[in-house]
Amino acid sequence: MSKEKIVINPEFWDIIPQDYRDLVDHATYGKSDRGWKDVGSSTELIAEHSLCAGCPESIAFRHIMASIPAPEDTVMVGSTGCTSLVFPMVAVQNIHSLFGNQNAIATGLKRALAYRFPNQVKDVIVLAGDGATVDIGLDMTLQSWFRQEKFTTICFDNELYANTGGQESGLMQKGFVAKMAPQGKKFEKVRLPEIARESGCAYVAVLTTSKPSLVERVVKQAVLIAREIGPTYLQIYTPCILEIGKQSMEGLQEMRDSESAGERFKFREFITPEAQAFIDDMNAKKKADKLAASANN
Amino acid sequence: MKTRINVRMSGLGGQGVVTSAHILAMAASKENLFAISNPFFGAEKRMAPAEAYARIGPEKIYDRGELVFPDVVMVFHPQVITMGKSYTMPFFSGLKKNGIVIINDDIDLLSDAEKEGLANLNALVFYVPATKIAHEVAGTELATNMAMIGSLVGLTNVVSMNALDLALQDRFGKKYVASGGTATLDEAIKKKFAKKEMLLQKNLETIRQGFDRAVEFAKNAHYTPIMMA
Amino acid sequence: MGTHENPNVPQIGTANKKGQIITAPEEIFFTSERTQAFLTGSEVIKEAVKRSSVDFSVAYPITPQSEASSLVGELYADGYVGDYMRGESEFAVMGQCAGAAFGGARVFTTTAGPGTLRAFENFPMWAGARLPIQVVFTVRGVNSPLTIQPDTLEIAFMLETGMLLWHAEDAQDLFDFMMKGYIVAELPEVHLPIGVICDGFFVTHTKDVVNMTPENVALPHYNPYANPTPVMDMETAPIRHMRDPFIMKSNYISYMTHASWQLEVKAAMERSRKMTRKLLNGLIEVENPDAEILLVSSGTAVSQSREAIRLFRDKGVKVGLVKIKTIRPFPKEEIREATKNAKYIFVPEFNVAGWMAREIASVVERNERVIAGPHVAGGMTMPPEVIVEEVERTIARMNKK
Repeated sequence: MSKEKIVINPEFWDIIPQDYRDLVDHATYGKSDRGWKDVGSSTELIAEHSLCAGCPESIAFRHIMASIPAPEDTVMVGSTGCTSLVFPMVAVQNIHSLFGNQNAIATGLKRALAYRFPNQVKDVIVLAGDGATVDIGLDMTLQSWFRQEKFTTICFDNELYANTGGQESGLMQKGFVAKMAPQGKKFEKVRLPEIARESGCAYVAVLTTSKPSLVERVVKQAVLIAREIGPTYLQIYTPCILEIGKQSMEGLQEMRDSESAGERFKFREFITPEAQAFIDDMNAKKKADKLAASANN
Repeated sequence: MKTRINVRMSGLGGQGVVTSAHILAMAASKENLFAISNPFFGAEKRMAPAEAYARIGPEKIYDRGELVFPDVVMVFHPQVITMGKSYTMPFFSGLKKNGIVIINDDIDLLSDAEKEGLANLNALVFYVPATKIAHEVAGTELATNMAMIGSLVGLTNVVSMNALDLALQDRFGKKYVASGGTATLDEAIKKKFAKKEMLLQKNLETIRQGFDRAVEFAKNAHYTPIMMA
Repeated sequence: MGTHENPNVPQIGTANKKGQIITAPEEIFFTSERTQAFLTGSEVIKEAVKRSSVDFSVAYPITPQSEASSLVGELYADGYVGDYMRGESEFAVMGQCAGAAFGGARVFTTTAGPGTLRAFENFPMWAGARLPIQVVFTVRGVNSPLTIQPDTLEIAFMLETGMLLWHAEDAQDLFDFMMKGYIVAELPEVHLPIGVICDGFFVTHTKDVVNMTPENVALPHYNPYANPTPVMDMETAPIRHMRDPFIMKSNYISYMTHASWQLEVKAAMERSRKMTRKLLNGLIEVENPDAEILLVSSGTAVSQSREAIRLFRDKGVKVGLVKIKTIRPFPKEEIREATKNAKYIFVPEFNVAGWMAREIASVVERNERVIAGPHVAGGMTMPPEVIVEEVERTIARMNKK
């Protein structure tokens, strides 16, 4: 979608909410180098949120929204949970329908957009919690990967059901005592990244949102690979500070602790040779363009 | 004169019972009669009981589903009678008075009780070795259903041989021709088409055999075939 | 498809890529020359989809619709359907349908019985999201032990989903309802999902005569921008819904928002009546309305009633018929009017619950006249002889009292 489509008749300008004016004035549409550094100076895609103060999910949301390569042609699919409190305030079109069906929705959506706009980029990104991705929606998560549906799945892994008050989830660590796990969780954290790799994802990454540049790199990579090659999966630790008994300002430290060597969110990624070749090719082109540009200068 | 002929076909999965009902109904619609056909509704299984129904008449037919009160019961396989492989017991349950029973065999399969039941209904019982005819004429038992259809038509005149021919072409020929295109059939398609023609011809001959036997039987039994109103 | 903006979409009077001429619906339905075909209901589903400019279809096997959804796959392979896939369960299938409809596609799917119930959570979501998806329910039993036989019980579950529900009596209805269904469901003032219901086996597996519209003529494409809600294709401005989302909130404004949205779905359904009356020639069909005895029902029960009426006619008894074509919206005024002179209103049904009798009793005056039955269930046939017998016996019993 071109930016012209969102411009408002000047006669109505004074009654248009600030959010929308920001979108018209600042939206980074068609800007290839948009990224995490825009967070703060540009709030047009997400300004406010109604999550808990200091929630790492809100930080992750901002970094992701700043990093998606083409917000003007991106549709997001959410699910039930804390993320559904944020989506109404996100300025890219997004769908919430039911709990757990996000990868089924994204499948139909991506196919419809591919059919309707055969010569245009239309990215689809799923963003859902771990309950939606791994428990209630696992079937649809996996089947979309088996079928090689070309969209990105992002799981906000807070290792429990936060929105309903902290119940056990499949991505919870073994032994953690939670509601519905009164004696501690009795089985291991589900190894979804490894399952994703075996299920046909072209790119998989596990990380926290503590390093915005890393989030930017993997999000861009995941969306571009999904556009050209096949399904991609990101699992991002967004601890629920409320349910693990932390203060608002302690989220960042919690993420840093959990990504140190040997910890469960130590950064790891997997990429198929085909996807790697695509990324290498893209980076080489970018480099060449830069060189050409500086030569011209 | 009848305003409706209800035919119940009982056989075993794989014998072409459903196809028979469809061909018969299709032939009836070629005669500008109204017709509905449907199978009994179960999962498809070889050698399991299979039933199909054809309803034919000069006015629009609404009735559908399992045929509870047939004018004609066709038994495609002896096991329908000897092993109770039918959806209703006895196999002629619901048969209307003066109805017809056509059985694919050449030996007497009926128990005394069944004979008595059929006699009470004043039913006409016709044995025709349909599978044998199919082997002799078409070289395959897969044509059993054709001999059965021929027998039915011989006893009822419900449709003409010409209409059956047209229905057969619809069922086995038409789709093929349509998908191959009408103007430019290539050599391979022509070859297959020739095979198809042969299949149609063999089927028709098998029907004719069943028909002739039924006509002869009716003559000897001084039976006047049912005619449609 | 975005009729006006998208240059890839053929307009009325031009040919689609299969050479079908895109034609105004009224012309297709009412003035185009029809030809007779002898087809099963499954084949009819294929033929209707072929003429409906369908963008996306999802299939999943369940008896008795498996053949129909495979045939739609053949249409896709031939280029008549935009995209087609097999889903992994009915719950997922209905999500895939929703995703495509959110993305602006005209969508078709079909399911039955247990599949309908497995998918159930999706249906009120479709209505609330105002997605004009069409699903053909080839209804079958939902009880345990497992059954695959025809039974209309599942319709009872669908009644309050907010979907339009039209019940085809036979293959002809199925053909017409499917094509006309898209036109009504996609009206901007309606824009609701539609369930076209046909009785499993009685229609899907039965060969019957159908008058078909020309094969080389197809409905205009869906225009997703004539839509009360934004299409999720990022071709319109992305609007932030609200600062403090009303989802999962407990406050008065939240209750009001949800309540008014539910009322709006109800109102949209009411608004569908006008065009439905026009296209279906009324929401009901009436025969002998002056008769003392009326048989009132929908689907195959109507066909069996028609045969029973003939048997009564041969006995010299005049019996009337009310065929209900649309279960949602329910034709309450029409039924009230058509039944006002009847002494006995019998409601034959292919289910154990008698939900149609309850629906009718809820709208007619002096509803002690409504007699639920005869009932068959679990796949049983309803021979017309049984209807006659039951009607006669019931009336005799009532007169004895």
